[in-house]
Amino acid sequence: MNKISWGKKMRYGLVLTAAPLLLAACGDGGTANEGGGDSPATDGDTNNESGEEVSLEFWSFWGSGPRRDAIEAIVEDFNESHDTITVEYVYQPWGDIWTKALAAIAGGNAPDVIVQDINSVRQRAEGQEATNLQSFIDEDDISGDFYPQLWDTVVYEDEAYAIPFNTDTQVIFYNVDALEEAGLDPETALATWDDIEETARTLDEGSEGNWETIGFYPRWNIGADVWALNADGGVSWFDEEGNVAINTPEKVEALEWLLEWQDYYGTDTINQYEAEFGQGVADPFISGLVAMRGQNINYYTNLKENAPEDFNFGIAPLPEFEEGNGNWSWGGGFVLEIPENTAHPEESYEFIKYLTSPEVQERFGLNSFDIMANMEANENLMTHEELDEEGQMVYEMAHQNLESTVITPVPLNAPDYISLVNTQIDAAFLRQKTAQEALDDAQESVENLVEQYQ
Amino acid sequence: MDNTQQSQWRKAMSEFKTLKKRRWSKRQKKEALWGLLFVSPFIIGFLGFMFLPMLFSFVGSFTNYNVTNRMDFIGLNNFRRMFTQDELFTTSLYNTAYYVLFNVPLTTAGGVFLAVLLNRQIRGIRVFRTIFYLPSILSGVAVYVLWMQLLSPSSGLVNTILSWVGISGPAWLFDPQWTKPALILMRMWSVGGAMLLYLATLQNVPRQLYESAEVDGAGSFKKFLNITLPMITPIIFYDVVTSTIGAFQIFQEAYVMTEGGTGGPANSLLFYNLHMWNQAFVARNMGYAMAMSMILFIIVLVLTFINLKLAPRWVHY
Amino acid sequence: MERLFWKGGIYIATSDVLAGDKAQPKVKREHFKSQKRQQLIGKIIVYIVLILVSVILLAPLWWMVSTSLKPMEEIVRFPPTFIPETIQFENYAQTVQAFPFFKYMRNTLFITVFVVLGNILSNSFIAYGFAKIDFPGKNVLFALVLATMMVPGFVTMIPQYILFTRIGWVGTYLPLIVPSFFGSAFNIFLLRQFYMSINNELTEAAQIDGANHLYIWSRLMIPLTKPALITVGIMSFNGAWNDFLGPLLYITREDMYTLQIGLQSFQNQSTTQWNYLMAGATLVMIPTVLLFFFAQKYFIQGMDLTGGTKG
Repeated sequence: MNKISWGKKMRYGLVLTAAPLLLAACGDGGTANEGGGDSPATDGDTNNESGEEVSLEFWSFWGSGPRRDAIEAIVEDFNESHDTITVEYVYQPWGDIWTKALAAIAGGNAPDVIVQDINSVRQRAEGQEATNLQSFIDEDDISGDFYPQLWDTVVYEDEAYAIPFNTDTQVIFYNVDALEEAGLDPETALATWDDIEETARTLDEGSEGNWETIGFYPRWNIGADVWALNADGGVSWFDEEGNVAINTPEKVEALEWLLEWQDYYGTDTINQYEAEFGQGVADPFISGLVAMRGQNINYYTNLKENAPEDFNFGIAPLPEFEEGNGNWSWGGGFVLEIPENTAHPEESYEFIKYLTSPEVQERFGLNSFDIMANMEANENLMTHEELDEEGQMVYEMAHQNLESTVITPVPLNAPDYISLVNTQIDAAFLRQKTAQEALDDAQESVENLVEQYQ
Repeated sequence: MDNTQQSQWRKAMSEFKTLKKRRWSKRQKKEALWGLLFVSPFIIGFLGFMFLPMLFSFVGSFTNYNVTNRMDFIGLNNFRRMFTQDELFTTSLYNTAYYVLFNVPLTTAGGVFLAVLLNRQIRGIRVFRTIFYLPSILSGVAVYVLWMQLLSPSSGLVNTILSWVGISGPAWLFDPQWTKPALILMRMWSVGGAMLLYLATLQNVPRQLYESAEVDGAGSFKKFLNITLPMITPIIFYDVVTSTIGAFQIFQEAYVMTEGGTGGPANSLLFYNLHMWNQAFVARNMGYAMAMSMILFIIVLVLTFINLKLAPRWVHY
Repeated sequence: MERLFWKGGIYIATSDVLAGDKAQPKVKREHFKSQKRQQLIGKIIVYIVLILVSVILLAPLWWMVSTSLKPMEEIVRFPPTFIPETIQFENYAQTVQAFPFFKYMRNTLFITVFVVLGNILSNSFIAYGFAKIDFPGKNVLFALVLATMMVPGFVTMIPQYILFTRIGWVGTYLPLIVPSFFGSAFNIFLLRQFYMSINNELTEAAQIDGANHLYIWSRLMIPLTKPALITVGIMSFNGAWNDFLGPLLYITREDMYTLQIGLQSFQNQSTTQWNYLMAGATLVMIPTVLLFFFAQKYFIQGMDLTGGTKG
């Protein structure tokens, strides 16, 4: 036997043995996924009415601190009040939980309930990763309990695939003492883009290259996308019909405004502080070096834990582009989902319903300071006696801000569009393109992308 | 063993050579069986754990696979999209090539330098060796977060130290010109892993060689060039091949340091694997990601092949 | 038979050279003196370089340790402090209480011990086959070894997970441990390189003496390449100890988690306990540091053997 024939035989052998194995693997995968077509109701019948004990696995990324304590206590109460259902809480690392969930769903051994990202519910509905919950909603419609834009994100082709759990929104945090010293009233000083610019100039101390205090820089922690959306009456990069709406005149103007800010403070200064804001380690706002910062309202937790006792801060909505335009803001959040093909969707839904009920939502918010998806819970927290004035203020602000907060779910017709837009926006900030050119180019490449997906 | 023994060997060898002409095929068969026995764990492991997943991703690269409910054959569409429509594909390839080009020679040279520095019997050498190896022990998110702080333009340690010698440091992770050098710098810090390999290899260099060279009056540099370097070429070869493969797959640092894989300023940290990850797990174009992995595989394969072909010219076994 | 033969015309161990090792080279006294002075200056330069490099390498670690000792109020302060103003050793106590630290450490150690064992055994075995035995298809197989390194892990991750689900291994440590007993490409390649640099005459001679390959591998190769095996051991330890993705995917129960997963619990959607995270990272690092410190002894031992001074 010479070498060549040896190699050839080996190769044929590999192909021959591999082909059936691969087919078997694909076949199995296929049937496992197709099995997901069963309606949850029929699955539930076989499991629940016999009255036998059911145990559920519940995944979230609350690994330590007050959120973990809160969820464990809530799960314990649920288990005590439900004879036939036992929920086991399993912590999974933040961010990686969703990779693991995807693998588990693909492998057919997913947990019963998962805390998922609010922006990708439709993607998972389309991919048959999440159980259709519409039959439960038809029985008892709870959709009105939640902020409407949150509910919108869980609906795919008119049917619900998840229940919103918590949310957030972008606001302005300001240093009360700094504003008072300058004799400014936060109500008027932060009302419009012009106002906040003027306020920032008043609060600025020092000069280029040697700033002692920086009044405000809009792009620290809030992206150009949020300011564009704020200017454009709450329309994100995609309008309501799903059309690409990147190079609208308002958005171009927003980008130009941001470029003016960059010129004013200079890239060196901006980069210096941006590093700190980006990681959330050292904090120039708490240290009094920056008087106002745009930020997710969750930042309150950091202030509560890390700021000195005497640090006075206030919260205001994002300023209006022009008077009467609206304080449009942007938010995110998390939802509860039941993966496809789990054994006990009915019991799982009961647990989800418990977690999203006003009382439990209120309890979770009270311990974590998260903004809850259930409106009634947030309203109760606005006046909750166990919260101090600051805490109540946060919930009041959030509740008010959520009226003009937009959630931007991943568009199914261009799920990876965001880096294309960022490329162009970065080019504008690097002064390689004008605002108009950058957004025109972004419009074109995202439109191309949408075509690629068709 | 002494000279006589050695000559006995040689004699036996030549006798053996005449013998083996006759019994070649029987001996070869026996050797072949031994060979297969020794490499059989790899074959079993490969067939058991790797073959099917690899074949699956090969097949998947011609489909629109989305991990859960979609896997239709779409021919070469993924590849067509990659080369004609995907604007970020070329960006990611460029970023990765840049990183590989600088990272591989620098870490190899750094590893050899540290190993040679540490390969001596002086007081406290074990402590120094441990210190040099320390950075490569650390891994995971904590290290990358740590480096984000160290590279902070205003308050970071790196720029603070640079300012002591009168250099005003760049904005590192915030300046598209400096993001990749920042990552290369970070990788240089943990060059201890490569150093460990060279240090182990240097133990195999007989001391007598240096001593006889010293008698001949050779200086340190000459000794390094004529003795040390040739002796460690097999491991330099290993290091170059594997670190090239590894550098092409750079992912985690870029993922952590660009806030969830967005690619950093002006996409300057959008490496090949990061783009692939975003396609696979953010956009759910797993089929496309599998096609991308095929292209990367071919690129790395060609480079490794070139490396293997060039090896006999400079690697001394 | 303990002696090494180096190919490529660089070095062939002969008794002459070995004899030279024991005999003092005859040099003039003055020459000897100036040589000694030169050596002293050289030594000082070496120490200066060593200390300088050490400081550079340790500075980031200092930052880590210093953060681990600060209270959060100090960490958020800008500009940051290089030396903690308030030192909070309680951070370490808090860290080990925030999650079952010592239980996770036992779990990690359990996995790591098997992985190290598997890696040393299987890879030296396989590498010997590739380096020292001729058989048909060897080059194709070795190309396959190299090819397994080149396929990015993400795309095989999901199919591999499905595979392990099918054979019922998900939720156990088996997917983390068992594959290490079947070789890993990086280590096979590395040890092959080490074995290749050992002269073939040695193995051929042993074969003529009647030794089979199993004997040569276990009695000759393993002792001769101890530094290389220790290196593979240290690197496998480091890899398994710090592995995150493997345990993340395959372990399903919290009481089976590893340290790297536990460390992640300090990161949340909006807040991170930097001091605990850094304290945890420092603690997790310590066993590997100790292992390396003590394993170095075997580097020296390996040198005695291969250097042939015992011959």
